[in-house]
Amino acid sequence: MDILASLGDGFVTAMTFQNLALALLGTFLGTMMGALPGLGPSNGVAILIPLAFSLGLGATPALILLTSVYYGAMYGGRISSILLNIPGDEPAMMTCLDGYPMAQKGLAGEALSLSGIASFVGAFIATWGLILFAPILVKFALLFGPAEYFALFALAFATLGGVSSTNQAKAAFAAMLGLGLSVIGVDTQTGVPRLTFGEVHLYDGLDFLVAIVGLFALSEVFIFLEHHHGNSAAGGRSIKVGRLTPPWSMLKSTFGSMLRASGLGFIAGVLPGAGASLGSFLAYSVEKRLVDREGTFGKGDPRGVAAPEAGNNAASGGALVPMLALGVPGSGTTAVLLAVLLSLNITPGPLLFQNNADVVWGLIAALFIANFMLLAMNIPMVGIFTRVLLIPPRILMPVVAMISFVGIYGISGSTFDLLVMIGFGVLGWVLRKLDVPLVPIILGTLLGNTMENNLRRAVTISNGDYWTLVGSPLAIGLWTVAIVGFVLPLFIGRIVKARMHERGDEEGAITD
Amino acid sequence: MSDRIFGAFGLMLAIFFAWGTLQIQESFLSDTVGPKTFPLLIASLLGLSSFAILVRPGPEPVWPSLGRFVEILAAVVVMVLYVEALDILGFVFATTLATTYLSWRLQSPLWQAGLVGVGTAVGIYVIFHLLLGLSLARGPFGF
Amino acid sequence: MAFKLVRAAATVAGLTFATGAMASECIAPAGPGGGWDFTCRQVGKMLQDLKLIDETMQVTNLEGGGGGVAFAEVVNKRGDANDLIVAASSATATRLAQGAYPGNTMDQVRWLAAVGADYGVIAVSANSPIQTLPELLEQIKTDPTSVSVAGGSAVGGWDHLKVLIAANAFGIDDVRTVKYIAFDGGGEAVTQLLAGSVQAFTGDISEAKGFVDSGDIRVIAVLAPERLPGAFADFPTAKEQGVDAIGANWRGFYAPGGMTDAAYNTWVEDIGALYASDEWKTVMAANGLAPLDLQGAAFEEFVASSVAQIQQISKEIGILR
Repeated sequence: MDILASLGDGFVTAMTFQNLALALLGTFLGTMMGALPGLGPSNGVAILIPLAFSLGLGATPALILLTSVYYGAMYGGRISSILLNIPGDEPAMMTCLDGYPMAQKGLAGEALSLSGIASFVGAFIATWGLILFAPILVKFALLFGPAEYFALFALAFATLGGVSSTNQAKAAFAAMLGLGLSVIGVDTQTGVPRLTFGEVHLYDGLDFLVAIVGLFALSEVFIFLEHHHGNSAAGGRSIKVGRLTPPWSMLKSTFGSMLRASGLGFIAGVLPGAGASLGSFLAYSVEKRLVDREGTFGKGDPRGVAAPEAGNNAASGGALVPMLALGVPGSGTTAVLLAVLLSLNITPGPLLFQNNADVVWGLIAALFIANFMLLAMNIPMVGIFTRVLLIPPRILMPVVAMISFVGIYGISGSTFDLLVMIGFGVLGWVLRKLDVPLVPIILGTLLGNTMENNLRRAVTISNGDYWTLVGSPLAIGLWTVAIVGFVLPLFIGRIVKARMHERGDEEGAITD
Repeated sequence: MSDRIFGAFGLMLAIFFAWGTLQIQESFLSDTVGPKTFPLLIASLLGLSSFAILVRPGPEPVWPSLGRFVEILAAVVVMVLYVEALDILGFVFATTLATTYLSWRLQSPLWQAGLVGVGTAVGIYVIFHLLLGLSLARGPFGF
Repeated sequence: MAFKLVRAAATVAGLTFATGAMASECIAPAGPGGGWDFTCRQVGKMLQDLKLIDETMQVTNLEGGGGGVAFAEVVNKRGDANDLIVAASSATATRLAQGAYPGNTMDQVRWLAAVGADYGVIAVSANSPIQTLPELLEQIKTDPTSVSVAGGSAVGGWDHLKVLIAANAFGIDDVRTVKYIAFDGGGEAVTQLLAGSVQAFTGDISEAKGFVDSGDIRVIAVLAPERLPGAFADFPTAKEQGVDAIGANWRGFYAPGGMTDAAYNTWVEDIGALYASDEWKTVMAANGLAPLDLQGAAFEEFVASSVAQIQQISKEIGILR
């Protein structure tokens, strides 16, 4: 009951005209920034920090504005994923895999509203999770030492094989390429530069935003140029928009996926260093493993849209747990939010819930309000979003290219980054031609640093004994899931398939 | 055939990566694992997967004709020129030119392409610079 | 990776300001929540409160290489910025002394002023059987592999050196056997102490304070000459436990090497005025900062001697050839 009373107080704090207006503004701007390639949630939040301070907002209103932007950007990322096959931000990467095929089948409206609902479910469950389980979750996060983190990341890479390519060697190649790119820059453990070849711009490493925008957005532009499809979509067919709301049956069939993905995403979000991208990635790959009996994932399966969207929104809620309760940011965006809290003289950490209860509960209430606003705003706006598909690519694609350039340049102010981005664009085009999946590259650049540092910490703690990596029940559990759940089926599945093929039993082959 | 070339290229990349790793100057006091172990692990897995691609190539992709290929190459050159021109011409002019070119090559009539160029440049300037307050490249006229 | 985003993001925010009036920027060469970050934010806020600057000071987190990334950035890219200061500390001096910022030396930047000193602490988890510093060091001496010490700086950095100084004072001859684990900032290191992955934490009082208040960790030694005032009086010094080790982490700022004399003097005066204010004394008391009143040329000299001293220590304990 204490919780409900505190939450009630929070709503009283949050429900002023000014705060509601700020939430509305934040959710709208957040959605727009999420949808634009290159501007993700963390940049979105950072861009609005000066606004929050120059308006002279107090702690609670400022946080309401910024968390609304945060949740809004998480909603917005899916829009360009579905309509253009270009993720608006890195967690929306997985939504491309089934969202774009759905749009090509003329189901753009359904995909958008379904993913909006999935986002709502994910964020709603995560916010309740934050309220009810924050103290327990902090204890859970503390079970993760360096060895367990390494196992978790290994699990993420183990699931890759099943995700996006028929050719496992190519998926592995892509993952290693991404991990290799993450090595570039000054080593955070010992401070020595690695593979920078004396180039100062590389000391800080490659920004994965540069990689993602180049690989996805620019390569898409090149593909249109290659085919000269100025007047219709790639593949020569024009995309029909279709109905705007998902049929009830589609909602019903995806509801289980949403719930599972929310749980998984939330847990991934709670672990500092994993974040929303890992949340949406695991949500998708585990869901595919569990329910994809007919091999429809990747070809426009609604469950493949619902799962990553629920996952990434749940993860963004989960990421607030370690930020508030430990003062440790779980993702880029929460790192920015943490900085805001500190400059408002609020010190997150174990005592935050006692010392600043009004701020915390106001913030939580604001999350609920923002979430409902986003649902209410996103479903009617699907019709407007889908109009984007009616713009002929000869106009749309140049605009996309330029927004990509501006998104990167506006943030880094570096023309070097732009050249690197063009390089990634060419690389993306070549790799697409060769049927090499792009998702593992991004995952590699995103997680590489943390993965390596945790490996090195774990082994140093155990005095050079690599067995420490399987030294705890949790680590063993994670490795088991990785190997039994994802790696072995790749091989066994092949053998079984071959046998089934001999018997001519096509149906048996897909129930492995 | 493409996959075989790709695999061979991947092998070379892996060797280059391993060579680059071995060039790392270790500092006077290092951790147990050191800054080289992980990159070397990556290099070997990269080489292994490249080798697998080399020996078991997938189906041949459809490569564009030479003309289309030049088309893409030209677009890359235009983009690089655009980046270099940002600091000289300023954001609005550089963007107008680059957008016009891309739109024209995607088969817009030239006058339409020009309109798209101006519209994109001004539109982005208004949204990103005036509304969101991002700083864009300033040219001789301040925009 | 996340912190790169933060940097990019914070830069955006900085640029936004720059389009208005001239706003100043403070680079914190580590992630949010660490000591450098705290220095930037507290000083930035107070400079504004005292009306020494007009606009909010923009704090940019630029993590990596134990501050080396930020140092290289300032030397190579922002060499003549007048509106930029960078948080520094003993850790910065340590890395410079050991040549750990490849190709960079302390005379490439201008040293502005100190704002106080933060004494090092060594802490264990609240449920640890270890009660005193000698107990911990004895355990390290008998079996160095059994104790992992976590800190927020890279291997060979200031957090690492503090333990080594204490170990050296205790009579551990080959201090390189002390097992040190580098994390991305003090916050993450404390978290891993709570998680039980490591057995001890070395850092600054300001990084440990929140977790001491909540009863999660226990400070077994503060590396100060005598007990600190106020809320910190309960912490025993290393010296009173028979380990003659002092580790003062001074906090201050440097500025780009090409900063004009006019701008340099203005900054020195502003930070001097801040340091003299009563408000700053309150902040220092609340955060366990001890006095260290050095500005301009005096501070420059202090850093130079500090660098020389650390070089000496590093050679003595055998981690610098």
